[in-house]
Amino acid sequence: MEFYTYVNIFETKGLEYLLLMSFFALFIFLVRYLSGAGKKTSVHEEKR
Amino acid sequence: MNTIAVVTSEFDRVIKFFWQELKPRGKWLTPFNVISIPIILIGLVILYFRFVYGIGSVTNLNQYYPLGIWIGFDVVTGVALAGGAYVITFVVYVMRMDKYHSIVRVTVLNGLLAYIFYAGALTLDLGRPWHIVNPIIGNSFGYNSVLFLVSWHFLLYMLTMALEFSPVVAEWAQLEKARKFLAGLTLAAVIFGITLSILHQSGLGALFLMAKPKIHPLWYSEFIPVMFFVSSIYAGLSMIIFEGTISHKIFKDLLGGQNHRHYEEIVLGLGKGAAITMFVYYFFQALIFIHEKRWQLIADAWGYWYLVEIIGFVLVPCFMYAYAVRNRNLGIIKVASVLALLGIVLNRLNVTVIAYRWYDVNKYYPSWEEIVVTLMVVFTEIWIFRWIVTRMPVLGKRQ
Repeated sequence: MEFYTYVNIFETKGLEYLLLMSFFALFIFLVRYLSGAGKKTSVHEEKR
Repeated sequence: MNTIAVVTSEFDRVIKFFWQELKPRGKWLTPFNVISIPIILIGLVILYFRFVYGIGSVTNLNQYYPLGIWIGFDVVTGVALAGGAYVITFVVYVMRMDKYHSIVRVTVLNGLLAYIFYAGALTLDLGRPWHIVNPIIGNSFGYNSVLFLVSWHFLLYMLTMALEFSPVVAEWAQLEKARKFLAGLTLAAVIFGITLSILHQSGLGALFLMAKPKIHPLWYSEFIPVMFFVSSIYAGLSMIIFEGTISHKIFKDLLGGQNHRHYEEIVLGLGKGAAITMFVYYFFQALIFIHEKRWQLIADAWGYWYLVEIIGFVLVPCFMYAYAVRNRNLGIIKVASVLALLGIVLNRLNVTVIAYRWYDVNKYYPSWEEIVVTLMVVFTEIWIFRWIVTRMPVLGKRQ
């Protein structure tokens, strides 16, 4: 017989919440990573 | 009498102008022409048999497989790839990011032609194509069906994009007053077009909500409409990068110096948008995967195929875009755009064809006639695109 347990993150939505939290954390990281672009010189300038 | 003479001479001028413009330009014996002309001619012959002897005479479609590659590739994939038009017009006219203004015309043209040809290919797939007008004229239509919404949206969005592109045609025909008037309507057309696009991009996904027992559970979820919409954003952006790369090589004579200078910044900006959207799309997929408890589905061939699509053609190009934007590497961005486009094709074909009735032993495979007609549709669109670009002020200047 299956029974419900609050500590099982598969039965509760714990895993989904964890995924969402990691999404927001990684999203901030991604945007900051992409915003750091442009510090290098452009491709055309490098060629010159 | 004088008025009649003026009208006649003006009419003669317009006829001569159009006749001159219709004449072919450039070299005829190019690799593209050599490949595309025979395919278009064979495709026309196949279409003759399709309309005279019925759809079953040239396709492998049947009652169990009503959707083949004409729907799966031409319509469902083609419309996703045309998503760049609503994304770019939103960015330029609503968010006022003028950096991308130079690619609005070519993107809208691309979107308009994609809708005319790919959505128009829907006519080929209807058993009784003359019934296509039913949702429009109100004859026996199911007003609460998704297809009703999609068909009206296709029609309205094609008219909207034609309106968005009309100032270019007026400029080409040297009708300055008409150009000013049509340009004044652009913002309203853009807002209307964005609304339509969001709804019918997701509406195409919603069409498959009613096929739950037939689509493999890894590709089916009640969030298909959301996924179709989100993926259409990066599909459109990737298509602009891909198409822009080719246009830059083939139509380099038509590009102004300013476009060359801004090209790099534009591609980097598009790549950045695509990276963020793909990241969001990937997490949506992961969330659905966990929410639907799909762990047990991943351990067979279908599961591996799903991972190929999600990791190989979503996550990998997402990282490639991010890395390339950060390091200003246009080469990697171009490769990422191709991978992202392949991922979209794969996803749409999985939903409509490959994972559709996945449990059947006798699966549907497209006939050679279906493949030739699909190629014919693509090549014809490229021919029209080339004709317009080399004549109208789309990329920068008229030839």
